[in-house]
Amino acid sequence: MTAIEIKNLTKRYGSGPDAVQALDGLDLTVREGEVFGFLGPNGAGKSTTINILLHFIDATDGTATVFGHDVGTESMAVRSKTGVLPEGFEVFDRLTAREHLEWVMDAKGITDDAGAILETVGLSEAADRQTGGFSKGMGQRLALGMALVGDPDLLILDEPSSGLDPTGMQDVRNIILDLAEQGTTVFFSSHILGEVEAVCDRVAILNQGELVALDTIEALQERDGGVESIEVTVEAVPEPAGLNEFNGVQRVSVEEDTVVAVCSDTAAKVDVVRWLDERTTVTDIISEDTSLEELFHRYTGENPATEQQTAGSPETPAQATEGSQ
Amino acid sequence: MSLLAVARRDFLDVRRAKLVWAPVALYTAFMLLFFWGQSTASDPDFYGIIWGLVGLGGVLLVPLIALVAAYLSIAGERESGQIKFTLGVPVSRTAVIGGKLLARGAVVLLGLAVSLALAVPIAMVFVPEMTIEYGDYALFALTTLAYALAYVAIAVSLSAVTGSRSRAMAAGIGFFFVFNIGWNFLPVRPIEMIEFVLDQFGMTASEELLELVYSLSPTGAYMNATELYMPTRFLEMVGNVPPSDPPFYIQGWFMVVILAAWIVVPLALANWRFSKAQLG
Repeated sequence: MTAIEIKNLTKRYGSGPDAVQALDGLDLTVREGEVFGFLGPNGAGKSTTINILLHFIDATDGTATVFGHDVGTESMAVRSKTGVLPEGFEVFDRLTAREHLEWVMDAKGITDDAGAILETVGLSEAADRQTGGFSKGMGQRLALGMALVGDPDLLILDEPSSGLDPTGMQDVRNIILDLAEQGTTVFFSSHILGEVEAVCDRVAILNQGELVALDTIEALQERDGGVESIEVTVEAVPEPAGLNEFNGVQRVSVEEDTVVAVCSDTAAKVDVVRWLDERTTVTDIISEDTSLEELFHRYTGENPATEQQTAGSPETPAQATEGSQ
Repeated sequence: MSLLAVARRDFLDVRRAKLVWAPVALYTAFMLLFFWGQSTASDPDFYGIIWGLVGLGGVLLVPLIALVAAYLSIAGERESGQIKFTLGVPVSRTAVIGGKLLARGAVVLLGLAVSLALAVPIAMVFVPEMTIEYGDYALFALTTLAYALAYVAIAVSLSAVTGSRSRAMAAGIGFFFVFNIGWNFLPVRPIEMIEFVLDQFGMTASEELLELVYSLSPTGAYMNATELYMPTRFLEMVGNVPPSDPPFYIQGWFMVVILAAWIVVPLALANWRFSKAQLG
């Protein structure tokens, strides 16, 4: 049984030359019981897809079903089986956290343990406070709690970690993993890649309304050669062009006194450190797994913020020559 | 039933908003003022007080109470994104409109009913020598509540077809000026326009037709519904004499039909529009 089946889904806003193509023939299948990461930069069409699944908007073309129910004509059945954490919402200021959950129970015609859900999302202390004074993170936790009411078969989470601190993100991850163990299908959209890697069975990468990749994270990494990066802080930066000679070093960039090398295998990272150590004094080493950032970059053409200059380019800082003497 | 779920949540939410209760307090305060004014009169007139309440309440207060209570009911949710919670659960858009009408209607009607009920003991204290015609007072109260409900329905409908706070407010104020002040009180209201146009062709408009046009606005219908409970001698005194042997469409009971239409028609149109709205 498939949880979500999307075929040729297309959404255009406006018409004529000013039309914006938000989704361009998207095909996607999410299997029952999997945790599915829906990735893409802002404006890629992630929220548009979710809005169509929930019937907030109509598709221009194509079809989508959730557990076999058409999202347009059988939206009530879809929403009965789904818990939603939307994006860009406000909670109801004058209702308490508990009243929010009671509303969802009332609307779904079910009963659930509001206290237990509030504990799961870490809001027990604030259960009976009106939400007007809640922080963004508390609002996000409450929205997640509302999505969990009635233990839905499908959980749709649109940017669930926005507004959350690192503890909150960890909580969200744990909740998702718990649910996945119980067999809940989770459809999880995000533009932050790190949070997807830890929980998702498969990911789809969306760019400008089109699917550009769909696989497990491991398979995507393997197919393109693994990528890892190392950041070495040195006293004086040598001319780093020589680093490109190493097998397995894909790109090198320099930021002030830090050399960043993106490598396709772990051994290359050692070569980079050794090479730099021979030429200058190494003061710090950070080995980062930015594999997803790299993958993302490849599929969407978006530059991760850390990459600024490429080795050997004319912008290489002048002090590089000093260091190599 | 999801309509009731929407209504329950919305009632809980809106009854905690102080702004909603302010106009009702205002209505009560004005009522007090009317009775106090009559207490110093030598010959206090029950119908005089009611006429004053119909005038002031009908023109200003009841529409104000209803518009304030309901103009944001749906547009506010759309602007803030709360609508994603309301419609993220299995609740139809029709149920949202119905639930909002029920909740906001309940707040407004409850507030007014308390206010109208309080008026009786207040009248007994301030103007003990005045006779209260309880049957007529009940009809006044009921038509006032129907009128208020019509305005709530209009406000909820306008709120459903506008996507933001500012547009909903503009629509509410616009409706108030066109269908209340403009329709019934300005010197260039529709009945004057009809008279003018017909006059150009050398014709005269029948009094019945003009009376009907006047009554087509909620306020006009509410004002002319006074015929149901005010004695003719009083209506003659204030210059609001119904034509003798009137056709059905300008009789008192038909005013109630017009008010009912102001509840049903805007809601039906809003439901049709809202069911197709893109809420992205």
